[in-house]
Amino acid sequence: MFRILSITASLILAAALNAAPIAESLVRIEATSQEPNYKTPWNPGDVTSGVGAGFVIAGDRIMTNAHVVSNARFLTVSKEGDPKPYPARVLHIAHDCDLALLGVENPEFFNGTTGLEFGGIPPIESVVSVYGYPIGGTRLSVTRGIVSRIDFQTYSHSAMDSHLTIQIDAAINPGNSGGPVMQKGKVVGVAFQGYSGDVAQNVGYMIPTPVALRFLADVEDGTYDRYVDLAFSHRELFNPAARRALGLEDDNTGVLVSSVYGGGSSSGILKPGDVILKIDTLPVSSDGTIPLGSESVPLTEVVERKFKGDTVTLDILRDGKPKHLKVPLNEPWPFTLQSNAYDEKPRFVVFAGLVFQPVDQNFMEAHNPGNQRLNYLFDYFVEDEIHRDRPELVVLGTILPDPVNAYAEEFRFSPVDEINGRRIKRIEDVAQVFAEPADDYVITFAGTGRPLVLERKAVQEAGPRIAERYGVASQENLIK
Amino acid sequence: MKPRFFLLLLLLPLHALAGTTPGTAVQATKLTESSPAVPQQAIAALPEPVPEITKNSLLRVNSTNQVYDFFQPWMKKPPFSRRGLGVLLEGGRILVTAELVANSNFIELEKPATAEKSSAVVEHVDYDCNLALLRPNDEGFVKTMPPLALADGLRVSDQANILQLEPNGEIAQTPGRITSISVGSYPLENLGLLFFKLSAPLQQRDGSFTLPAVSDGRLVGMLMRYDARNQTADVIPVPVIRHFLKEPGAPGTRGFPRLGLSFAALRDPQLRHYIGLKEPGGIYITEIAPHGSAEKAGLKKGDTLLAIDGHAIDQDGNYEDDDFGRILFSHLTSTRTYPGEVLKFQILRAGEKLEIPVVLQPPDRSRVVSDTHLSDKPPKYVILGGLVFIELSRPYLQEWGNNWTATAPQRLVYYDAVQNELPADRGKIVILSQVLPSPDALGYEGLQNIVVTKLNGLPVKSLSDLVEAAKKPVNGFQKIEFEEDPKLVFLDAAAIEANRDALIKHYSLPALQRL
Repeated sequence: MFRILSITASLILAAALNAAPIAESLVRIEATSQEPNYKTPWNPGDVTSGVGAGFVIAGDRIMTNAHVVSNARFLTVSKEGDPKPYPARVLHIAHDCDLALLGVENPEFFNGTTGLEFGGIPPIESVVSVYGYPIGGTRLSVTRGIVSRIDFQTYSHSAMDSHLTIQIDAAINPGNSGGPVMQKGKVVGVAFQGYSGDVAQNVGYMIPTPVALRFLADVEDGTYDRYVDLAFSHRELFNPAARRALGLEDDNTGVLVSSVYGGGSSSGILKPGDVILKIDTLPVSSDGTIPLGSESVPLTEVVERKFKGDTVTLDILRDGKPKHLKVPLNEPWPFTLQSNAYDEKPRFVVFAGLVFQPVDQNFMEAHNPGNQRLNYLFDYFVEDEIHRDRPELVVLGTILPDPVNAYAEEFRFSPVDEINGRRIKRIEDVAQVFAEPADDYVITFAGTGRPLVLERKAVQEAGPRIAERYGVASQENLIK
Repeated sequence: MKPRFFLLLLLLPLHALAGTTPGTAVQATKLTESSPAVPQQAIAALPEPVPEITKNSLLRVNSTNQVYDFFQPWMKKPPFSRRGLGVLLEGGRILVTAELVANSNFIELEKPATAEKSSAVVEHVDYDCNLALLRPNDEGFVKTMPPLALADGLRVSDQANILQLEPNGEIAQTPGRITSISVGSYPLENLGLLFFKLSAPLQQRDGSFTLPAVSDGRLVGMLMRYDARNQTADVIPVPVIRHFLKEPGAPGTRGFPRLGLSFAALRDPQLRHYIGLKEPGGIYITEIAPHGSAEKAGLKKGDTLLAIDGHAIDQDGNYEDDDFGRILFSHLTSTRTYPGEVLKFQILRAGEKLEIPVVLQPPDRSRVVSDTHLSDKPPKYVILGGLVFIELSRPYLQEWGNNWTATAPQRLVYYDAVQNELPADRGKIVILSQVLPSPDALGYEGLQNIVVTKLNGLPVKSLSDLVEAAKKPVNGFQKIEFEEDPKLVFLDAAAIEANRDALIKHYSLPALQRL
């Protein structure tokens, strides 16, 4: 008992000794942002502001969370002990791993700061300290905890991406976002999300250094290319009958390829039913993990550390025969419609008071349409390869009531099939076909049976009237 | 601290899609034991006593029902009882709603005045019109009772009294008035049929699942729904009852014909102009159900329906009925028509007027992809090595609760919703509903609600297909393919055969399949 106490005491001492340089490099970020409203997509959106944390790294840059500076219109940064706010700007932002880099125009800001260095993955049960500005406040706050778990977790900022995440039991609260998590004077993570509700307590999450360092490496060439993905799903291979049927020994190796997503990196290379035995020469266990260093991690971790243009090699078993495959990671994952999107303008076309929009997560969240067909098409967009027919799901969203569209309500949230005989694959098609002169505009929707007919003359008369009455500042926006 | 960051720090679920979809069923309170009671102060003094002849035609019906658990289709849920007032008709049969006796195990008849009891069985039931005829096991039980005649010719604003049973065996009578006569959705099958809406301040009483409405000692109809807030009752009226009563005598032509089409109102002048419709009225046909009467007659999506048998259809789909005034045209093709009858449809197709004869038939239930209800029928299932397979049906989805359209697996909800658009040879949708963990199914424990495409390379369009294909294992394995992940599953054919009895014993299953 006595020994344990003394260890704890020395750790506190170590933390206290290290606190001074860390405090100098800690940054308080005030962000004013403007979030567009997908129900009135022509409006610039409400102005809101918030506070987060960040830290100075090499090259006079500030690292923080993407969600602290998303949709930012104006940013200021300030240091501990220097109340002056300095205007800052976003250099790079990675929404898929919730990280961003900021620059400051005035180089004086960095006087007296030291770029913090990155450490490795802290061992389970080791103590870490979290720095930030939780629950508002202008003074630095430090909390401490231990590393509870190292695992893959969904990053709630995009809500679709999962990366390596470290769970700690230090209190992480609003305002900690973007702050450094330190161990032995080095950054071992970036605090970014917590757990809500009554289910769990003392659960905080940080972005570990492999993710942060990958982000820094990715932007070295001046642009952020996003994560690449093998774009297939796999199943554990525990069942003895399945193992024998696939020609495998009872030796706990290999996973079954279940879906290969069309349009992704593995499309045309891998097939459902293939068994993956090795990835980049690392043996794949039947639960889908690989040995990496001293840890056992999911096989996707190999791809997590790669960049656009890299290659993954796979040793597989197809129809009982071994094969060696190379998968070039050419393009990032192409289907981002199910992710929360930021720093984008909503795209739309207004015609006769009808607002046509491509469906994405932002649209679904704003409108919450109770349309079973649309829900299915959105949920299964990738899995059922809906994108082959419809690269974008264009629907009728908001209706601005006017005599010209008095009978359009039944078409709300229905996917547009055709306008004047032309197949609608993207929102641009809608803009083009409405720009072409015609006596009638005949719009057919999936699942509604009857067409919606709009007479040109009536539309032309209604256009200015609707725009004025509803304050529609622009009739279309096709650029993100 | 701004709330924005508060939210962002919270962990969101992966699928943040929580669409709420309104159900298609009419939202009204059923007259169940559990439905909210009518305010107790509501009733004015009863106008007159119930005539003896009417009183003596009524029987209290207690039905003990038990429905299958669609998640565990080999067993039934706990039994429950429903009570109502049945009406003795000419011929010694008792009329009740089908809902009262759906999935019944035991039906008991009781004379209100004397509390004499006897048992009965369902002689004929039609879930389309929500009616059933009961036959007493002892026909002598009702011999001395006077049958009730049917009241024809009732119209809006006519009076009708709703009868209920008091605890002491007396019949209570609540006066009501017919406020509207229209075509609306019936429970169970969601079929649109004629019904009366009655305004009446009913008091909640024990045993009011089926109640008769009478006028001048004749039956006006049977209550199928009561909306306690608005104090209105939906009544299955005599025209529907008469149609139903013809069914038992003519077994080949049972049921209400169904046209098998969907339509949209033609109110939009821009659409009317576009399709070249100069005369008033007409509706736009938006969907033709596969294998239905409309499809067989050659009606097409996009046709404009102008008239049926000389009755002009207005832009909302109503016609002028001799008895009931403006009412939805489907009254013509259901209650006013018997199976096999031919009606002349006048349509406009590509600017040309055509007359198309349509033979009206009830739907071919064997062709239905996802059944709306499966009352009185045990659900089918097949268990292979612990993997439980079923056919998709609405009752299965309804196991997810009232909000099933949002909470049940979205692919299955979608298939149920768009079943008329699926390829005509789609057959049934076979689902792996769950896995009973067993040595043969090791590693498959989490699989649920995924659609089966093939077994051993053979297409699976029904559970019977599955059973047949399972007889032909490939290299000693049952190879099962799915639409979704994991796409492919193998079972050891010999091992699951050898472990049959162990599985049955372990989970106390009555059998490994029921077809």
